[in-house]
Amino acid sequence: MELPVAIIILLIVLIVLALAVFLLATIAELVKINRGLAAALPLVGELVSKTAPVNGVLDAINGTLVTGRDLLEGLALKKAGPDGAGLVESCFPGEGAKFLRRVGASGAVLPIGEDYPRGAAILNSLLGGTAPVPAAGSAPAPAPAASGASPSEAVPGDGRISLRDTPAPAPQEPAEPGRLSAMGARPWESPAPAAEAPAEPGRLTAKGARPWER
Amino acid sequence: MTVLWIMVVVLVVALLLLAKLLSGVLGAARSITPTVTAIGGVAAAGSKDLDAVIALVTTQNYISQVVAGLANYGGSLDVALPDA
Repeated sequence: MELPVAIIILLIVLIVLALAVFLLATIAELVKINRGLAAALPLVGELVSKTAPVNGVLDAINGTLVTGRDLLEGLALKKAGPDGAGLVESCFPGEGAKFLRRVGASGAVLPIGEDYPRGAAILNSLLGGTAPVPAAGSAPAPAPAASGASPSEAVPGDGRISLRDTPAPAPQEPAEPGRLSAMGARPWESPAPAAEAPAEPGRLTAKGARPWER
Repeated sequence: MTVLWIMVVVLVVALLLLAKLLSGVLGAARSITPTVTAIGGVAAAGSKDLDAVIALVTTQNYISQVVAGLANYGGSLDVALPDA
């Protein structure tokens, strides 16, 4: 046998051996990968099964929250009227304009601030708070809800409610059965007789001041 | 004779090239194995973390109750407060 032929045969054998060694090692690694993927697959299945109901639950939660939001926005629109967007803007900055869009209204949104004097005045009247002090030379403040005037005009002091040591005047009967009317219940509109003194000093008793309890 | 020596050279070059290529394939396959193992560990941890997803149902019930209470409260306010 000639030398080149022997070398060629040797090289071919080496090539075959290299192919066998590397391919067997590669096959072994692929088997390991297959086992790893087989172990991970059920865990991924668990992930899928556990996250499957999340969308439905979150959609239901969102639907419930949207219902509650719409309810509150409708209430704000009904009770606060044009101030509703401002109230929403004060509580949730940036939401006032969205509120207006949702209710189909338009206009500028003016934040009310931390205090809502008009609402405070209404609550004050319902709870039998002190009468507001009208400005000198001006008529008594009209019903804020009906007039749309500046809230600060109808509020005593700085527009804050004081629940301490405030005698509760007895309001009149509501105009409509089952419906509370603030008209006439405001101390500055009807000089109603003073209500009972608070049972405990420093605490406001609304007993007798609520028309539906009389 | 010359042709035989040329074949020897070609086979040597082919052997070296083959060894390099197969080594690369083997290295890539070996690098996948720890990644797959890590994926399995992360999937196990994620699956364990998602055990708390069932609490969303409780949250949903609480939110429903809160909104129902809110509706009742709003109804009371609707009666108690005058309209704008």
